[in-house]
Amino acid sequence: MERQNGEPLVRMVNIHKWFGRVYALRGVDFEVYRGETVGLIGDNGAGKSTLIKILSGYHQADQGEIYFEGQKVRISSPRDARKLGIETVYQEQALAPNLSIARNIFMGREPVRRWGIIDRKVMNEESMKALANLGLRLRSPDLPVVTLSGGERQGVAIARALHFKAKLVILDEPTVALSVKEVEEVLEFVRQLQREGISVIFITHNLYHAYDIAERFVVMARGKKMADVKKKDTSPEELSQLVIKSAFAE
Amino acid sequence: MNDGRMSLGRKLLLSRSSSVLIVLVVLVLGFAILSPEHRFVDPDNLKVLLSLGSEFSIIALGVGLLMVCGEFDLSVGSILVFCSFVFLRLFEAQVPLFFSALTTILVGAALGIINGLITVRAQIPSFVTTLGTMMMWRGLALLFSGGEQKGCDVSTVPSRYFLPFFTGRIGGVFPAQAFWFIVFAVFLGILLHYHRFGNWIYATGDNRDAARAMGINTDLVKTVCFMIVGVLCGFVACAQIARTACFTSRAGEGWELKAVAASVVGGTSLRGGVGSMVGIFIGALTISVIENGLVVMRIPYFWTYVVFGLVIIFSVLSSMYIEKKQREAHR
Amino acid sequence: MEWVRNFLRYRAANTFLVFIGLVMFFSLLTPNYLFVDRRNLAALGKLFPDLGVVALGVGVLMICGEFDLSVSSVLPFCSYVFVRLLYRGFAPFWAFWAALGVGALLGLLNGLITVKTKMPSFITTLGTMMFWRGVLYIWSKMMPAGIRNLVPSGSLFERTFAGTVGSFFPVQALWFALFAVILGILLHYHRFGNWIYATGDNRDAARAMGINTDLVKTACFMIVGVLCGFSACMQAVRIGSFAATQGIGFELRAIAACVVGGTSLRGGVGSMPGIVLGALTIPILDNGLILLRVPVFGISAFIGIATILFVVLNSYVERKTR
Repeated sequence: MERQNGEPLVRMVNIHKWFGRVYALRGVDFEVYRGETVGLIGDNGAGKSTLIKILSGYHQADQGEIYFEGQKVRISSPRDARKLGIETVYQEQALAPNLSIARNIFMGREPVRRWGIIDRKVMNEESMKALANLGLRLRSPDLPVVTLSGGERQGVAIARALHFKAKLVILDEPTVALSVKEVEEVLEFVRQLQREGISVIFITHNLYHAYDIAERFVVMARGKKMADVKKKDTSPEELSQLVIKSAFAE
Repeated sequence: MNDGRMSLGRKLLLSRSSSVLIVLVVLVLGFAILSPEHRFVDPDNLKVLLSLGSEFSIIALGVGLLMVCGEFDLSVGSILVFCSFVFLRLFEAQVPLFFSALTTILVGAALGIINGLITVRAQIPSFVTTLGTMMMWRGLALLFSGGEQKGCDVSTVPSRYFLPFFTGRIGGVFPAQAFWFIVFAVFLGILLHYHRFGNWIYATGDNRDAARAMGINTDLVKTVCFMIVGVLCGFVACAQIARTACFTSRAGEGWELKAVAASVVGGTSLRGGVGSMVGIFIGALTISVIENGLVVMRIPYFWTYVVFGLVIIFSVLSSMYIEKKQREAHR
Repeated sequence: MEWVRNFLRYRAANTFLVFIGLVMFFSLLTPNYLFVDRRNLAALGKLFPDLGVVALGVGVLMICGEFDLSVSSVLPFCSYVFVRLLYRGFAPFWAFWAALGVGALLGLLNGLITVKTKMPSFITTLGTMMFWRGVLYIWSKMMPAGIRNLVPSGSLFERTFAGTVGSFFPVQALWFALFAVILGILLHYHRFGNWIYATGDNRDAARAMGINTDLVKTACFMIVGVLCGFSACMQAVRIGSFAATQGIGFELRAIAACVVGGTSLRGGVGSMPGIVLGALTIPILDNGLILLRVPVFGISAFIGIATILFVVLNSYVERKTR
């Protein structure tokens, strides 16, 4: 997708974050344009997860501002983030294993009839639609998520994000612990998101997965942004060198 | 309750509850056949079983609900006795029965909320919180009441509604307590399985972080569940006093573990996120039937412990076995 | 001041401060300084190990990530075995070892059921607690059984378990100290102790490192069982009989003592000094309040409040220092 000129969809400016005495983010600037897929890479402890958790409303920045679609915003809870159209797919915490697919997709946003009674028909139908939009073929929306494979589970989480008209989908290590086939499934889901014009932030350790999917790469190390390169200006090997160098640099 | 096509989820639910139901049916038949003169199925005994057993069972419903959302309440017996004490005092102060009952239930709600707030605010495991409040509430109740049994004969106060409400017989036969047990079971069942709040309860118990990430206020969900337990304790406190016409400081002793047992027997997982109101209902009935059956068969009360122990272990094992089979069926 | 800050980093530090605070409080405020009266301290020393010895084992088990609610049934069960063997004519020495053996067996059973079926120990031991209590009640018919004539006052056996050293120091307290030291060395200095911590903290990681977590857990359950057996004999000798009500309430009080001592309910966190202090704190609280003429029922309410406050405090401190 071509980057549109003008305002980025999301702009984080001079973000600082402390956890007790740990200085997790040291003045990070980060933006994502509409329809763009950005790979956020870096070694452990670099601050990638923390940065996107601030965008998702899970944490709050101690200093700095966030602009969404040009407006300054305060994201003080996951609800705020979702209201803006930011959806996150976490690695471990995305789904409740014993709940059905439908109940997972609509967790917290269940369609209701009178007095809060869940509208099961709507919930099931919409779930199947959401899965179909992503190309995910599953037998029934009542299956407990624990019976799905790793790739399918990520698919459900991504389908959830897609269904709720996300403008920005953040994927935090979505390919960890997946088989080669499942990784390809997940990357295909992400491509579907791209086809819909949704911006994506893709966090990963695995440069090759990221390289496949992203247009731009932001490298982080120890709480700072170390590099910001477009895919056409670099190669996986160069990127990997960048990451290693940043890990040792000051 | 049926929407025509039998969904897979419904099948799963039924299969776990059905094993519990089988156990219950076997027990009922066993007691019916083996009790001297089939006393188990004697109408008088059934009335006793349903009225007494329902007191415990109502509370077990709440404890089971709380377990689905991932927490435990070991203080139910103490909340019960504290509420009984509150009712006693109000009665002695000649407060109209209706208000006494209402206040008692509100006090129960308050104690439940306290359990909830301590657990979620201080982020300590509910196991510990309710261990502490268990000692606290019973201790306070004993302290203020002087630790004895006290007569509290409600029938001395003219009230057309109080006694029948809690201890009456519908159609002259069916005990009111059992009626309330069913009412609460249906209400909580609808809440858990059909209401969006029920989905929040499941989500909170199954994966708290996912629930929070999806914007569910898990602290609120847990506190409300604790409150429900408290309300049920308050209700049963009134019912118990209505039935026995006295306050006893030993009310509810041991009920916390029995309630956990009833839930576990009913297929509720100790980790949270798994359980059904049908299962809890049957589990509570099972525990009550066991107690009553052993009494009817003149078996010394001590055997109940042996039986409970075996029942718990057996049901958890079979529950785990079913779970394993279900998981394999879907691969 | 560096050592102060280091000291405060231990979870047990809180317990220690409270412990000291309580001791000072009661020392000064009980009428006639009764708390520090020799006889009172001697009585305390005689009684607290009943729970204390059991709490040591329960604490170690909690560190490895499991619970044992059955102690309140295993204890009187072992006591009854002890008493019945005495009646049968066995020498106290052998009856004692038999009681320990039974405790070990019951602990083994708890452990095997828990690890083989992968059921949460909360539930397993709930079941065995009920089961053994029932069996005991049926077997003993709830009747107390005196053993004064079989273990006469002044006999070597009686003095070993219920006597005093130097005419005032209760031997029960010495036994408690001995077990605390042994288990403390095991927990903190021995490799098995490291396995206990690892199993409790992250069982999968421990298994991946080749630790046999099933064995570790079962061993801890057996330790609890043996300590129950020991406490049972100690109590029986001191009281002079078996009473079916021995050990009632111990399961929760032992857990409370451990929790107050800084042991985490999630496993992997705890220390022997903490457990020892916790095992002392609760009986001291009991004793002091009684001396202050607080009505008996108020005491358990107080302990309940204190336990909560304690754990809240601990968890608050933990979050602040992270």
